Amino acid sequence: MTELAKALMELDEQKVYQLVEEKLNNGVSPLDILAECNEGMAGVGDLFSQGQYFLSQMLFSAEIFKNVMKQLEAVLPQTQESTGKNKVVIGTVKGDIHDIGKNIVVSLLKGSGFEVIDLGVDVPAEKFVAALQESGAKVLGLSALLNFTYPEMKNVVQAVTDAGLRDQVTIIIGGAPCNEQVRQFAGADYYAEDAVAGVNICKKVYAC
Amino acid sequence: MLADVRQLYETRLGRYQAAIALEKTDRIPIATGSNYFAEVYSGNTKQDTIYDSVKWLQAEEAFIRDFPEVDVLRNNRIWGPLYDAVGCKTYRLPGRDLPPNTQFQFVEDEYMKADEYDVFIKNPLEFMLDRFLPRVLGELAEPGSIRARMALLKGGMAQAQMGQIMRNRAIYLEEKLGMPQPMTGFFLAPFDALADVMRGLKGTLLDIYRQPDKVLEACDVLVDEMVNLALATADPLKRYPIFVPTHKACFLSPKQFDTFYWPSFKKTMERIIEAGYTIRAYLEGDWGHHIHHMLELPKGKVLCDIDNQGDIFKAKEVLGGHQCVAGGIQDSLFILGTPQEIRERVKLLCETVGKDGGFIINGGCNIPYDTKPENYRAMIDAVIEYGTYDRNFTPKPKTVQPDGKEPVKLKMVTPWEVKLAELGTVMGEESLIRKAWEQLEVMGYTWIWQWVL
Repeated sequence: MTELAKALMELDEQKVYQLVEEKLNNGVSPLDILAECNEGMAGVGDLFSQGQYFLSQMLFSAEIFKNVMKQLEAVLPQTQESTGKNKVVIGTVKGDIHDIGKNIVVSLLKGSGFEVIDLGVDVPAEKFVAALQESGAKVLGLSALLNFTYPEMKNVVQAVTDAGLRDQVTIIIGGAPCNEQVRQFAGADYYAEDAVAGVNICKKVYAC
Repeated sequence: MLADVRQLYETRLGRYQAAIALEKTDRIPIATGSNYFAEVYSGNTKQDTIYDSVKWLQAEEAFIRDFPEVDVLRNNRIWGPLYDAVGCKTYRLPGRDLPPNTQFQFVEDEYMKADEYDVFIKNPLEFMLDRFLPRVLGELAEPGSIRARMALLKGGMAQAQMGQIMRNRAIYLEEKLGMPQPMTGFFLAPFDALADVMRGLKGTLLDIYRQPDKVLEACDVLVDEMVNLALATADPLKRYPIFVPTHKACFLSPKQFDTFYWPSFKKTMERIIEAGYTIRAYLEGDWGHHIHHMLELPKGKVLCDIDNQGDIFKAKEVLGGHQCVAGGIQDSLFILGTPQEIRERVKLLCETVGKDGGFIINGGCNIPYDTKPENYRAMIDAVIEYGTYDRNFTPKPKTVQPDGKEPVKLKMVTPWEVKLAELGTVMGEESLIRKAWEQLEVMGYTWIWQWVL
């Protein structure tokens, strides 16, 4: 693991910014810097899976990563070729305006090199469908904090089916009120118990 | 009050209190703190609950008629008009910014800036009045303006109206329906006071890395304020526990919890318990790594609600014989499950975590709005069937003995002594003037701090 990746994994905030700054000044390509950060974020995910890190560390790593992205944005190649690969559409379903959990997943996905189409909160079914059609993403992530959203999750799955996309899209649900029973009710493919589990499912989908 | 209604009230209250105190009782109480299902069972919208107190009470009357086995029903809720009068920004309310049948939702923001800790620590009240309230209460955005002054006036009046509504409601529930309350009064863990509305979760988490000492100092300052808030809003007769929803502990690592969350929370609870109260704590999220700390508090004083992500069996294993635990039924089971599934679950719970008392069947800190009525009925029937300890035992409420201690002095901005010095002397009975003066001072002070919730 590189020094930068390690600093990020260990949440040494100032050191991360400083190393990124140094690397940029030394002409290191922003894409290479990003790759190192991805390695650090993967390390954070591993520590979480091992029970050494908790949600607070996930949130803090996401914050550092976001700030690094800001540092890099100015110099990253402007028009990245959209490959149509590794895309994930994600959002909090209609009626629910909470996004802490979703944002952790988004950061981890980005840190794993996914292109994330984050639709935000209170997202209606048709917006999910449109985003899937537009992007060609193979994964749809539905997030919720409140338990009144069960029918809405089912509704989104139905809308994806109605649009003829169901067999091309893997649907994952996650968030506090979700479990296997809710997954079955909604007709989703997976229930992700935490952010890392969600990211691993995305990796699995794009591996095949 | 009719004798049989009084009897019903006392049996219910006694049953609930016995469970909290880990004492003998006749059966497991049906004593959810937040029964959202009860509010909408009769067909009311979620807007009705917070805007139409008459319809709200009617709803619960209908609920009690159909589910007379229920032992407690919640009183204090958000009352929409108060939130409107001052333009409180922390909640989206059904019927106002949400469809009438969507549940209220909390909106987080940074109402205290990262560099304001010193200002807050130096003079919390001044900080609240000068900075926090104008930010969190939209109508007070321009201090000194006519609109802001009007809003403060209306906010006080609305608070008095709300107090009247809640008081009348409590009396009606008690005297007409024999129904006690699951909790009265509220406070927050100092860390949550900081991390909910003041700094927000993100802000606070950054702070514990970037300026940990300031977070700790602020939490220390907040102990006093939270104790005051709890005691000022509590049931003076000490029948009911004081409510504390814990929000941010589930995000913290055990080390962070031990450092930032627990010391000030423990101090706050110790002082409340010392003042003669019990506490009902919603342990939101998964408290698996933190819950053993509840053993450090006096036995039978803190009822712990275990959330959906928590493990009721482990919680009982850790706290059994020391604190009462509530929970055990997943929200999803109430909403999506069948009566048979509920029945099996309750049976299992009664035979394991419930078998030696100190247990209350509940969802994850509440009964969800979308609970199927037949599932709720199945839960009650199963509790009666499997959760009865002694049919011949009649629970009785605890009588609160005066302990001879001076009651805790509640906070005021201008204590009576100051006012009296200004007056020089009073011509008649001083205590009559003093009592009302102090009561209004306490109400005003409490009003300011309630907005951290």
